[in-house]
Amino acid sequence: MGCAGLVLAFLGYQLYVTDFLNDRVQAEAMASLDAELEARRTQLPAPEPVEVTVPEEVEEEAEEPEPPTFVRTAFVPESAVPQGEPLGRLTIEAIGVDEVVFEGVDRETLKKGPGHMPWTPVPGQPGNAVISGHRTTYGRPFYDLDQLEIGDRIEVETAVGTHVFEIREIHIVEPDDVWVTEEKPGAWLTLTTCHPHFSARERLVVQAELVDGPNFEYASLLARAQEGQDA
Amino acid sequence: MRRLWEVLPGPAPVKTIELVVLAAVALAILFFLFEWAGDLLDSGGVIGA
Repeated sequence: MGCAGLVLAFLGYQLYVTDFLNDRVQAEAMASLDAELEARRTQLPAPEPVEVTVPEEVEEEAEEPEPPTFVRTAFVPESAVPQGEPLGRLTIEAIGVDEVVFEGVDRETLKKGPGHMPWTPVPGQPGNAVISGHRTTYGRPFYDLDQLEIGDRIEVETAVGTHVFEIREIHIVEPDDVWVTEEKPGAWLTLTTCHPHFSARERLVVQAELVDGPNFEYASLLARAQEGQDA
Repeated sequence: MRRLWEVLPGPAPVKTIELVVLAAVALAILFFLFEWAGDLLDSGGVIGA
């Protein structure tokens, strides 16, 4: 009787009490997010003009490949916020996700909502931005992540604007498969969560590429330049 | 519960305080255990941590 009560109390705490605690934190963060993003927007540096060396498209009939060209574009930089602070808003319409993302992936931060890995770029910046989140406890923001399909869209609003990503890859990996967090050409967003439901044995990983937003042109040019170097 | 009350030293007011402290410690241990065991259900999905 004692053991059964303890197990029930444990499940009740994990599945319901943590949700209740998370709901309160998310509601407060969501209510003040717009004002925080607006305040951060006023402190952002101006967009930087940049030049990217991009290889010309090679036509099969051309005798000699065209030399690479310089393309001028603008880059909108954004740096991370202090640990535990709200970074932006994550929206995945396909599975009804609408959450405030916080900076950091430590235990306390992830109790508040999805967390951005501080050593990866902010979403929308060149590279691979990684966001982790709970699957079955603390508001279970990524409970339905396995329902996503290639081509579904993910939006992240940060101080510089809304970045739209399109899902390109879905993986199930081991918890220490850090290759999914490595740099990628262009701008990418990687979402990670526990897998399967009610187990932390593996990780479900969704990787999406930037298809619209303030840095879309710059990220696309960087990706083309990178592909040109690799070719 | 009654047995615990009998085992606790001191007069009734002291026993009451001792009982409250013991309950708080037990709750703290339980909370710690729940948090630890909760990581087995869902650790937050971080890669490489």
